[in-house]
Amino acid sequence: MVRPKYKAVVIGGSAGSFSVVSKLLSQLREDFPLPVIICLHRLKHVRSGLVESIRLKSKLEVIEPNDKEQIMAGKVYLAPSNYHMFVEYDGTFSLSTEKPLNHSRPSIDHTLTSAAYVYRNKLIGIVLTGANKDGAKGMKDIADKKGLTIIQDPKTCEMDTMPKSVARLIKPDKVLSPDEISTFLNQLAI
Amino acid sequence: MDFKHYLQVLKDNTPYDFSNYSDNSIKRRLQKVILDNGLTIDELLDKTQTDKGFVERLVEDITVNTTELFRDPEIWPQFYEKLYPALKGKKTFNIWHAGCSSGMEVYSNMIILNELGLLEQARIFATDISLGMVRQCTNGSYRYEFNKKQLSDFEDIIKKSPIQGISKIDFNKYFDFDLENDRINIKDFLKKKVEIRQHDLVQEKVPFYNKFDVIFCRNVLIYFNANLQSKIYQMFHNQLYPKGSMILGNHESLTGFYKTKFSKNGPLYTKTNVFHFKYQ
Ligand SMILES: C[S@@+](CC[C@H](N)C(=O)[O-])C[C@H]1O[C@@H](n2cnc3c(N)ncnc32)[C@H](O)[C@@H]1O
Repeated sequence: MVRPKYKAVVIGGSAGSFSVVSKLLSQLREDFPLPVIICLHRLKHVRSGLVESIRLKSKLEVIEPNDKEQIMAGKVYLAPSNYHMFVEYDGTFSLSTEKPLNHSRPSIDHTLTSAAYVYRNKLIGIVLTGANKDGAKGMKDIADKKGLTIIQDPKTCEMDTMPKSVARLIKPDKVLSPDEISTFLNQLAI
Repeated sequence: MDFKHYLQVLKDNTPYDFSNYSDNSIKRRLQKVILDNGLTIDELLDKTQTDKGFVERLVEDITVNTTELFRDPEIWPQFYEKLYPALKGKKTFNIWHAGCSSGMEVYSNMIILNELGLLEQARIFATDISLGMVRQCTNGSYRYEFNKKQLSDFEDIIKKSPIQGISKIDFNKYFDFDLENDRINIKDFLKKKVEIRQHDLVQEKVPFYNKFDVIFCRNVLIYFNANLQSKIYQMFHNQLYPKGSMILGNHESLTGFYKTKFSKNGPLYTKTNVFHFKYQ
């Protein structure tokens, strides 16, 4: 296997994204060589259960990380409910309960922006379906650091506000359907 | 501005040292303070060195004070499954809430202790770095609308998983509800029982002479870097009685060296004795 050009994948999603992420993780190769860092909005009253449901279909291990947990290749990390999740320069996560950003905790912008600073042009940022604009600013930071930006094709979204608000700030490198996203990621692993 | 440089100035001129907080978060918090106050760098440096009130407000603004009544409701039955047997036989025991914020965790715990018939034996201590939080903890007055969901979530949880047989709590025993003014006020008998003090965990000095059976420190150390975290674990270890327990936040865990000084006991970290280690 050639050394992949990228060091991490970071994904943000909101309304409608659960099934997209779930399917994506069922399609990713078992030997996927990068960490997959995911921040999804959750309904406030459903505090647990998300990670369990995502695990069901995933071939990769899915973790809700603890503070200061080391980020490892081939694992999937899901921002824990009620915490913002940041990537730190030493390759660990840090968590925070500071106030919601864009009405959300976890906030996609926080995770994406911190990852952009750490991984720079070695990062793939993906924004999926969602009914708000969280993630747009984070994707701009990824683009500014010359990372690769992908949005879910609005035509395939349950709610297209989120990917569209990314497209309003930057020109994404790729606009893909969910199946195309997994095909693209899997081919990085060859 | 180089935020590390600023933290050094703060450290040299005030009692506060944030230089070992996690980079990401302290940097973002500082940027926000500067923005919100509309300060130039020179004004910030000047105020930091001359204006005590400004510094206290700054400490309030750069720390994260989020808290809730019965935060993480599902975890409390688990705490008491482990704590109850250890506490119930004792004539007195000491509990310290380090980083108590506005006191919601402190009063939540006292309510459970009272329901379990353990409040009388308990001595409760609470500390926070922020003067504003110390005041709020002393006042014990919270917004009703903001907190009612937490109370009902907690009621749902204990109905399903009772805490040592407690499956229902009459909150009127503990709160005066003033719905007109959107307030929940903690009753005096609870407030009078807590010893509240301003204390900075970063300073090596400990706030109380006595040792502790339980130290709550949830969602506080996540803002510190790994080095500083280790120092605090060491301090807590020293301040705990043998077999005393430390309670961290839901997404915090001990790593490395300190794993051997505490044993994981459900959601608690219980102090292990070096002595036991040798002879096992
Ligand atoms: C997020 S709150 C957690 C409150 C409560 N323990 C809970 O889990 O709900 C963190 C608290 O830690 C306090 N804190 C931050 N740094 C501290 C320090 N160096 N010493 C003592 N308290 C500190 C903050 O002022 C804040 O009130």
